[in-house]
Amino acid sequence: MVEPTDKAREEFFSEAQEIIETLSRNLLALDGSLKEGALDPSLVNEAFRAVHTLKGLAGLFGALKMGQLAHRLEDVLDDLRLGRMELSADTLDVLFRAVEVFGQILAVERRQVEDPLTSVDELIDQLSALGAGAAHRPSPAVDYELDPAMLAVLTEYEEHRLRTNIEQGLRLYRLRVQFDLATIDKALEEMKERAKRHGEIITYLPTGEATSPDAIELDLLMASRDDLATLIGSLGADNVVIEEIPRRTRASIAAGAPSLFPRGTSIVPPAPEEAASLAAEAEAERAAPAEAAGSLRSVTQTVRVDIRKLDLLMNIVGELAIVRGQLGRVTDRVRSEGQRQLAAELQRLNRSFERRLSEMQDGILEVRMVPLGQVFDRLARVVRQISRELTKEIRLVITGAETEIDKLIVEELSDPLMHMIRNAIDHGIEPSEQRKRVGKPLAGTIALNAFQKGNHVMIEIEDDGKGIDEQGLLQKAIQIGKVEAGVARELTRDEILALIFVPGLSTKGEAGDISGRGVGMDIVKTNIGKLGGVIDVHSEQGIGTKMTITLPITLAIVSALIVHVGEHTFALPLASVSEAITFDGTGVRVVDGREVMTLRGSTLPLCRLDRLLGLRDAMRSPRQRRFVVVASLGNRRLGVVVDHLVGQQDIVIKPLGKSLSSVRGFAGATELGDQRVGLVLDAGALIEEVLAGVELRREGVRAHG
Amino acid sequence: MPRILVVEDSYSMRAFVRSALESDPTAIGEVEVVEAASGFDALRLLPRGPYDLVITDINMPDINGLELVQFIRKSEMHKTTPVLLISTQSSERDRERGLSLGADAYLTKPFTPELLRQETARQLARGREQV
Amino acid sequence: MVDLVRTREGRLARRVAERGPVREFLAFVLAGELYGVELTRIREILSPPPITIVPRASSDVIGVCSVRGLLVTVLDLRRRLDLEEAPASRRSRILLTEVESGEVLGLYVDEVRQVMRLTENEIEPANAVLGGDVSEHVLGIGRPAGVVLILLDLKSIVAG
Repeated sequence: MVEPTDKAREEFFSEAQEIIETLSRNLLALDGSLKEGALDPSLVNEAFRAVHTLKGLAGLFGALKMGQLAHRLEDVLDDLRLGRMELSADTLDVLFRAVEVFGQILAVERRQVEDPLTSVDELIDQLSALGAGAAHRPSPAVDYELDPAMLAVLTEYEEHRLRTNIEQGLRLYRLRVQFDLATIDKALEEMKERAKRHGEIITYLPTGEATSPDAIELDLLMASRDDLATLIGSLGADNVVIEEIPRRTRASIAAGAPSLFPRGTSIVPPAPEEAASLAAEAEAERAAPAEAAGSLRSVTQTVRVDIRKLDLLMNIVGELAIVRGQLGRVTDRVRSEGQRQLAAELQRLNRSFERRLSEMQDGILEVRMVPLGQVFDRLARVVRQISRELTKEIRLVITGAETEIDKLIVEELSDPLMHMIRNAIDHGIEPSEQRKRVGKPLAGTIALNAFQKGNHVMIEIEDDGKGIDEQGLLQKAIQIGKVEAGVARELTRDEILALIFVPGLSTKGEAGDISGRGVGMDIVKTNIGKLGGVIDVHSEQGIGTKMTITLPITLAIVSALIVHVGEHTFALPLASVSEAITFDGTGVRVVDGREVMTLRGSTLPLCRLDRLLGLRDAMRSPRQRRFVVVASLGNRRLGVVVDHLVGQQDIVIKPLGKSLSSVRGFAGATELGDQRVGLVLDAGALIEEVLAGVELRREGVRAHG
Repeated sequence: MPRILVVEDSYSMRAFVRSALESDPTAIGEVEVVEAASGFDALRLLPRGPYDLVITDINMPDINGLELVQFIRKSEMHKTTPVLLISTQSSERDRERGLSLGADAYLTKPFTPELLRQETARQLARGREQV
Repeated sequence: MVDLVRTREGRLARRVAERGPVREFLAFVLAGELYGVELTRIREILSPPPITIVPRASSDVIGVCSVRGLLVTVLDLRRRLDLEEAPASRRSRILLTEVESGEVLGLYVDEVRQVMRLTENEIEPANAVLGGDVSEHVLGIGRPAGVVLILLDLKSIVAG
């Protein structure tokens, strides 16, 4: 018998993760509102709710540490929301730390390893220390003429919300609304959206008095600062009756009479069919909000998908693509054997197949796409943390968080991005006094921007700090021997800036400093490269630095050029191929120790794949016609010499396992049909490898060209 | 086969309950579990009853468990249907409210699958006696 | 009447490694000798599909292949254990095993024999050097029914 905890475990991890992310966003919003001096109580409430739910789940699924931590955190949040404690930046720090630790605990629980997680105990102590004494307050709701039946069904939480709103001087309203059960989700969501602008809906109570079995009547208890007229103006409709719940008068309090809802103007609710058509008309009239901010829970229009299932689907699509290719070849054979009509029919079918396949591929790819906001949120947390650590005030501006990219890429992005932001804050943004002196605003700005450009996603990280010290960088490079002094004078600005990606360089002077510009950036570049992307840097001293990352939208299925080198088959993603030309070996020169050829007037560095990869040379005549595939990425090009061009094919790139992580130059492998596997070349890595050193030396057309 | 309506907004909790109820037929016999992700969902699913048992969380946004209990007790179809509440340890007041509104029993989180099955079996049996 | 229900805290279910008195090993041939690995670590045994050579990979790696869509790195166990080379035969097989990182690796062997059950008493700890680099990867020697079985520590082998 499989334990329910085991079966539902995956769901637990998934949900816990979601809750932690929501909590994180929530705390960030709280941080923002704190800075502006206007604390939004509903945020604290939401945080409380999230932690409360997490506590419950942790207990159920046996995640002890998580439950303990959640319990303490819940207490603190409870004190905060009930006003027993003030929210300070320090408290918020501890809360942020708790979110991180939750993440760690979750990771440990997932792997089912033993981990004492001492950090949790420390944190629990810290949280306990924050706690304040309890103070019970009487419910002021009795001062309102609230239907006791309604009061009776309020949960403690909702009562608290009611109390808070009353204390803040808001008015109470009861909205009695008739809904058609069939359309209730949409209608309710719209109502909620509109109501949110006026105040808070505390609870929804079904009255049980609908006029027909297909309709339902709800009483909404709402708190708002607006007056009745305003509310009726905004929310009123034929199926909505709004009344204010008045405070009890002295007389009625004295009389001790239990009050009932004052039945004022009551409109006979229309029959459901009428209600439906009225609602439809009204919907058409109203400029309905284009996207409801998140759908009603009960109408889940989203499905949680395990990305492994998507990979499986992609595999199948990939294999179908191979079949399609094979069908094409069979069609050709049929035609060449004279069966033109049959061939034409096959071709038609194949084209239709191709169209559908392409649609399916697009569909699956779309599912794999997730918004970058996922990563950006995490980064925002880090920024906050670092800025507190270094006591530098940082303003983080994020745009384009809704830009989507393949989920697998997103996972690998957070580390490199984190690194770059750390650098920007550490070394880019100057200390406050210095900023003041040069007339910059005290708070340093870091702008994180993302947008789609064709088949790529661009991510920009820009800071308004002091920029990169180009001369200092150059000197360092010369010092450690990466650049020859003579060549240094001839480097362009871009080439100098590109030095930050060279391992071992750090303008700070500490070789082992992880945050140093040099030591970390080469790894960042490599990692971005592994994702098929490139990174460029621009900088102006005194003004700031901007790093631009270009990434492919998806790694999953790409068009590739299949080539042969000896008996080996390789695939080169077309995205990095600009052209392929025949090559007969003439016109090759050696410049700076590297083979190059001239292509339409400019120099193209060459790379003989067989030599680079150490492949055994097949017996071939030196005059055999070969090909040069021009790989280009960014503004760098490399001519890759291969023996044979097989053709174009859609491939699904599968990453090589960790066991092969030391092998450079490959983006992965793909199935070629008949179970054969071909390696996929990583154009970026090849270009890097071959051209390393050329960047540091001026290339030019020499006299002996 | 008895039909059980489970109302709970946390999806992993729903998965847990479903799994607990379905994984040991010897304890409670075979049951059909219907899930509602919110009070609204429950309102929509209730008319498609009758259900032999309703298990609901108290603390749900919008329509909470207490309101649901009240609604259930007002309805013709489920006037006497057993209702099992799920609550958290600290909300004693909520639990008592629930019982006074007509719920039959409660389980406090965290509970084991066996406990859930035991209580379910008990409530299903009571439901049958009433008929 | 109201039933009060007690609560208990859930416990994290831990999979306890099978430590029963009998262990099962898959016996296979490598360079003429009989070796064994814990059966529970082996996911699948298959006839070698076409294996693609991976340039610049370490010499222990024969290459990669596709198993129903899954990309598997195939290790040359003989190389890893520093044993004699032998040509592939009809009987060569690949043993699939999952490693800690979640990756599935393939171990290339000359021939797969059978599953053998050994009690703890039938296993001697390895202290003899059996030539080459074997010793660090050897769990012990088993002698089921008069046969000598060199038991390998898969974990150490795949760790490289």
